[in-house]
Amino acid sequence: MRRTAFWIGGLVVLAALIVAAVAWGTVPLAPRDVALAVLGRGDADTVAIVRALRLPRVMLALLVGAGLGMSGAALQGSLRNALAEPYLLGVSGGAAVGAVVAVAAGVTATGLLPLFAFAGAALAVGAALLVGRAAGGRADPRVLLMAGVIIGAFANAAIMVALAGAPPNTVRGALWWMMGSVSGADWSQVAWLAGYTAVAAAALIWFARDIDILALGEEPAAGLGIDVERAGRRIYLVSSLLAAATVAAAGLVGFVGLVVPHLVRGAGVRRHRPLLAGAALAGGALVVLADLLARVAHPPAELPLGAVTAIVGVPFFLVQLRRLS
Amino acid sequence: MLSRIATFVLLSLALGCGEPRAAATVGGGGVRDDFGAPVAGGTTRTPARIVSLIPGATELLFAIGAGPRVVGRTEWDVWPDSARLVPDVGPGLRPNVEAVLARHPDLVVLYASDDDRPAAARLRAAGVRVIALRIDRIEDFRRAALLLGAATGELARARLTADTVARALARVRAATAGLPRPRVFWHVWDAPVITIGRGSFLDELLDVAGGRNVYADAASPSPTTSIEDIIRRDPDVILAGPVGAARIRASAAWRAVGAVRRGRVLVVDTNLVGRPSVRMGEAAASIARLIHPGALP
Repeated sequence: MRRTAFWIGGLVVLAALIVAAVAWGTVPLAPRDVALAVLGRGDADTVAIVRALRLPRVMLALLVGAGLGMSGAALQGSLRNALAEPYLLGVSGGAAVGAVVAVAAGVTATGLLPLFAFAGAALAVGAALLVGRAAGGRADPRVLLMAGVIIGAFANAAIMVALAGAPPNTVRGALWWMMGSVSGADWSQVAWLAGYTAVAAAALIWFARDIDILALGEEPAAGLGIDVERAGRRIYLVSSLLAAATVAAAGLVGFVGLVVPHLVRGAGVRRHRPLLAGAALAGGALVVLADLLARVAHPPAELPLGAVTAIVGVPFFLVQLRRLS
Repeated sequence: MLSRIATFVLLSLALGCGEPRAAATVGGGGVRDDFGAPVAGGTTRTPARIVSLIPGATELLFAIGAGPRVVGRTEWDVWPDSARLVPDVGPGLRPNVEAVLARHPDLVVLYASDDDRPAAARLRAAGVRVIALRIDRIEDFRRAALLLGAATGELARARLTADTVARALARVRAATAGLPRPRVFWHVWDAPVITIGRGSFLDELLDVAGGRNVYADAASPSPTTSIEDIIRRDPDVILAGPVGAARIRASAAWRAVGAVRRGRVLVVDTNLVGRPSVRMGEAAASIARLIHPGALP
């Protein structure tokens, strides 16, 4: 019952948010004009605003949220850690360094950037796992989280060093990107992110049973005949690819991966196949909403998307941390 | 999106600073710089080793004949060509004091923003004369020229330079005076979208060149905005640097702006127009030629 309500409610809320985000912006447009513009009819400026600016932007926000939500759900399940998410684990920071290195090396192709971001993310993941394991035979979730936060700080520092000689507005642009934004969205970005998200999401859904078993704990999982190390590593890497692709498209958007799986589990969804789908739905809705707030809070300037998600996410994290300890 | 970060764009010091200025005065009782510190004129000996931490001041020093005495410049100085031969001491804002002192200067010219106060204090403590200048607007140029002229013993040539620049600006203004003024959006940066507001040097230059800034109502000299808001203001023309213009033309999102669809994205020479300097007249003329083809020879 509660679960049915979640799915129906979630879909309705997401649809309503998408409509609101397309209809609402700096330029006030009549709902009828927006509807016509979606179909490509009406005044050229209105069509351009709706089809070239708002629609790709909303779609990108949706994909970023879906990717981060699924990544967070998979990480929380496989690491048995309610506080795990790509941003806090340093995955996003590593991805950002990878992307900055790629750009500095002259790679600007929208489709290639996620691969470099993924390489950075994989390095960050490797480092975090090594540190986590150094504390004792298997990766301790708390040590892992701490290692992730430290690696994230290191990534920030590395980016700042790379920007040392840059003129003031370049630094302003970089800080803007590091706070996350979908303001530069276009359809090619949407298409690439959709491709990466589809592949990684399919892989995670495929591994969903492994996540269910890992979530029981390492002993029971090993007892059920799972290679805990290998399965865990695989899920960690696919979640990182998903997070890296969102970072390459929209910069660092934190805490979505943390909040969203809790919301979905709160609705009674426990098994990871539906949990991943629910996290995609709720994550998409959350980021579309956050971007709408970022646009309309202080026009014509826009707030960084990551600032909006952090303002929601940090209190949530603290409550979770208190509940945990 | 990321490529925007790594892209190198020269921007005027005039952008991004909105602090109130302390008026420097030339003549009268004591001459003071823009930090309010006295600039000892004729009593001190003429400086022989000058480090200039403001690209506009470097241009001025070369124009008034003090170029051979410039022994240090910022990494942003690109004009005149002979300035490139002067050793580079790094950033002009929050300068590296050690690198500046390593040039053994007896005069340092730096930008009068609060960021630079600690450096100015440290240089003075090391016994170096410091002149802090705020060259943000057209009107600041004459004062800066006369102040540097007095400090370097080149006052006559400084006056001549200031007059020449003023005349060049007046010529451009006269040539575009009677013409319809196109509405211009000036693209500074695109992630976030940054433009020029009222009170910025580029806004003044655009006015001289016979254009109307669509963001003339923005109080900040470098306001942040969004593409949708630009559509709402519907500019006739978009001015951008070479890198920015290429990016606008390649972007699907920017095509939502009418001026972009009509192919009205014009490329300005960012090195020329970036700052209030000796070449302001030339800069204004170059903009006038873009937005009023045929108005100037």
